Amino acid sequence: MSNKPFNSFEMAQSQFDGISDLLALDGPTRDFLRWPMREYQFLIPIRMDDGQIKIFRGFRVLHNDARGPGKGGIRFHPQETIDTVRALAMWMTWKCALMDIPLGGSHGGVVCDPHNLSLREQERLCRGWVKQLFRDLGPQIDVPAPEVMTNAQHMLWMLDEFEMIRGEKSSGFITGKPVGMGGSLGRLEAAGFGLVFALREALKELGIRAEDTTASVQGFGNVGQYAIRLFQQMGGKVICVSCWDQKDGTSYSYKKKSGVDFNSLLSITDRFGGIDKKRAADLGYEVLPGSAWLEQDVDILIPAAIENQITHDNVKNICPRVKIVAEGANGPMTAEADKVIASRDIFLIPDILANAGGITCSYFEQVQSNMNYYWEKDEVLGKLDVKMTAAFHSVLELAKEKSLSMRDAAVFIAIARVAQACRDRGWV
Amino acid sequence: MEKSFSKSVAPFDRHFFTGKEKFTLIGRGELGGKAHGLAIMKDILETQLSRRFMPEIQVVIPTLTVITTDSFDLFMKENNLDEVAFSDARDDLIAHAFQRAELPAQLVGDLRALVSQVHTPLAIRSSSMLEDAMFEPFASVYATKMIPNNPWDADIRFRKLVEAIKFVYASTFFKDAKNYMRATKHVTADEKMAVIIQEVVGAGHGDRFYPHISGIARSHNFYPLGHAKPGDGVIDLALGLGKSIVDDGIGWSFSPAYPQANPPYISISELLEQSQTEFWAINMGQPGEYNPIKETEYMLKFNLEDAERDETLRFIASTYRLQDDKIVFGIAEKGPRIIDFAPILKFELIPLTKMLQALLKIGEETLERMVEIEFALTLDERHGSPARFGFLQVRPMVVSEAKVDVSLTELGGERVLVATESALGNGLLENIRDVVYVKPDRFSPNETQTIAVQLEELNNKLVASHNPYLLIGFGRWGSSDPRGGVPVNFGQICGAKAIVESTLPEMNFMLSQGSHFFHNITSFRVLYFSVPHWEKYTIDWNWLGLQKAVADTEFVRHVKLLSPLKIKVDGTTSRGVICYA
Repeated sequence: MSNKPFNSFEMAQSQFDGISDLLALDGPTRDFLRWPMREYQFLIPIRMDDGQIKIFRGFRVLHNDARGPGKGGIRFHPQETIDTVRALAMWMTWKCALMDIPLGGSHGGVVCDPHNLSLREQERLCRGWVKQLFRDLGPQIDVPAPEVMTNAQHMLWMLDEFEMIRGEKSSGFITGKPVGMGGSLGRLEAAGFGLVFALREALKELGIRAEDTTASVQGFGNVGQYAIRLFQQMGGKVICVSCWDQKDGTSYSYKKKSGVDFNSLLSITDRFGGIDKKRAADLGYEVLPGSAWLEQDVDILIPAAIENQITHDNVKNICPRVKIVAEGANGPMTAEADKVIASRDIFLIPDILANAGGITCSYFEQVQSNMNYYWEKDEVLGKLDVKMTAAFHSVLELAKEKSLSMRDAAVFIAIARVAQACRDRGWV
Repeated sequence: MEKSFSKSVAPFDRHFFTGKEKFTLIGRGELGGKAHGLAIMKDILETQLSRRFMPEIQVVIPTLTVITTDSFDLFMKENNLDEVAFSDARDDLIAHAFQRAELPAQLVGDLRALVSQVHTPLAIRSSSMLEDAMFEPFASVYATKMIPNNPWDADIRFRKLVEAIKFVYASTFFKDAKNYMRATKHVTADEKMAVIIQEVVGAGHGDRFYPHISGIARSHNFYPLGHAKPGDGVIDLALGLGKSIVDDGIGWSFSPAYPQANPPYISISELLEQSQTEFWAINMGQPGEYNPIKETEYMLKFNLEDAERDETLRFIASTYRLQDDKIVFGIAEKGPRIIDFAPILKFELIPLTKMLQALLKIGEETLERMVEIEFALTLDERHGSPARFGFLQVRPMVVSEAKVDVSLTELGGERVLVATESALGNGLLENIRDVVYVKPDRFSPNETQTIAVQLEELNNKLVASHNPYLLIGFGRWGSSDPRGGVPVNFGQICGAKAIVESTLPEMNFMLSQGSHFFHNITSFRVLYFSVPHWEKYTIDWNWLGLQKAVADTEFVRHVKLLSPLKIKVDGTTSRGVICYA
């Protein structure tokens, strides 16, 4: 067991290195893709509601834009680090390439906890972030989106600031906007539904019917919520959901063997995905420690919170019954845990595939915003389904052909495409 | 019939034409009546029929996928459509509300994948749970929408498919369907809708897509002529889509026991008048008006000159030679064409009659009932054979087996209100005291739309008060041409248990003999009387005029009798009589 603190970027680079070997990438290409092309770290001074000035640290990293403008989320998190941002930017490059959408990868954020900020303070922070970065953002340069603890309102404040600075409407600058204000229908559902589309294909591959399966989900935010909803509509049963409890400063798992009632659980959940512990108990849920979600006797595990959740230390707690792990979050599993999963023959749907619904729909939103013409939800979700299904099968085919894990096959396809784009542009 | 067939049908694998299975489903719910019937016949056709008539005829169920009823349930629930659906809102408002709603997420990917591969016309057909019930007359209550599916952009094809599905869903709650529910003592909430997406049998000819032949075959004939017997059955054929037969009541009708016999006619010009002069096809060209809530949005009527240009008359038409006043086979000569299917029926270009007889027999054995089968056929363009026969639907026919005798003496007896030797149905009714009739002195072909509205109001009152009634009127009931008869749909007169269609001396058109509402009439066991004014038996208008009116509008009169009428139809002789006390 390693005593070193977990570093997402090192993990991401390690994944890259492994696949580069398989692809036999030359030195310059490896060097070029192993690190982000551009990084910004900056400070944002914000006047708080009480009149005090507080300084926040912000980031924006563009990993690679050979295939198109950068695309990536903005995360507000107290534990945000440059390495996390680098890793997420790199994963975003691979994700866009895997889904074959014409975008590169970027990511950014601010070190803060929005639970502890008023709405006005959050607004100032959003506008401050854009003020620092606007020269390097835009529909043809780098297009942000919401991520952990940012939402449509944050995006709209950022859009407004950007348009004020630029002096023109530019709704393709940012995605995750509310519907009716440049947002795409289907955006809310996309990441969670996209995961379930991939899960559906995995079940078909294993010859299992959704209605014969149970699942346990970590995280009840956007991805977790919609994944549970669609999975249940398909006939599956979710028996355990875990989430962060802001008040207690820890996470809990909420279990109901007969299956969670999605609507009633949703009714006791705050906007950050936190379930009200007392009301959950009143509704008959067993309140267990946060880690309990991983230990449930289910067929499917869906880590849909944050990175580094399934590690060498706890992977052994996964029940023998588990057949599929679908990574709704980015980097929820460490490399060591990955090896254990593989040795147990558990079918893994890697993060860059499983949660690519969000980026795909972001792309759709960007297209619609740039055209100033918006599609119906049927059209968005239908296109999403077809794209996710196609990506799943291309990864599966390659995995079988080259005897690779699903993760390696996915990253292989992605890196190959990005490397080719860099070569085609004459960069390497 | 086994109720749940869903488990034995393969799931849709996103390969519509190229997949292993030609009959698939999307979802986990029920198939609904139409799809259920097809699922039952699928295996039987494959094992018993498909090779028997090869190479001349290939019998298939056209490739289809079924969206099962769970998608409908989810669609209704997720879009909160119950309120508008169960309201008294107009059909178009309900249809619009459904168009604005969203299909369930787990459905759209399959639909998207389907239109990405398929560029040929599709039929989006209802397949509801109540269409399955043996004695429930729900055929033709719900919508079918044909879409050309040929825009180059997959996004457009997807939108059109989605619009069509939503339209079929909406038709569950249209007025006609709700009337049916009331008349059959069902509740609309009982109904669930599956949807069939099916390849359309036919071929493209420029801006038109249609089959050479559509048809309906019935294993029981209510109007046997000449030597034909009721048990021989009857077959109706038409050029183009089957709408000509089902809605327009026009086609070439023959007994499979005597396929070479022409329908009865006094003169050849009468035969010409009776036969098809137009046909329905899917419009593959410039779309007309954009109207996703119109069933015939993509359908147009064309005339025989168009078919001749398409070279589709070669194996189905004959020609009238004016100078000899005779019909000559084929279309080598110039002259008016008659769609009489002579090469097939008289010269057996393909063994269609034998095949249909075999199919009817299989249908009866499988469903243990008399049956009605819908089909469509394309012929080889150059030689006629081989043909591709698409089996579209099978329905049980409800026929009363009560022994009823109506003698000629009775027809000419006293206290007879209506008598005819051309009645449809079989049975005896002795509980009818209400008579609704169109006033003969007020009827005008220009006013049939108004008459339809007045009839519907009276019908609704009588249905609500549980009073079945006798309906008497002029022209073809249900005619799509208001000048040919009263353009009601069956829901507007569904409370009538006996219907009389008649003519007036100044009117000059054929009666329908119940063809517009055939299935409804038989399933509801409505007794149907055709009484043209030139026949020897007529209607006793004087007696009717003396009866006390309960309602008297501009065109319609409702009388309530002190004693019930005695209404009899003998299905073996087609004689019918209505007597008063």
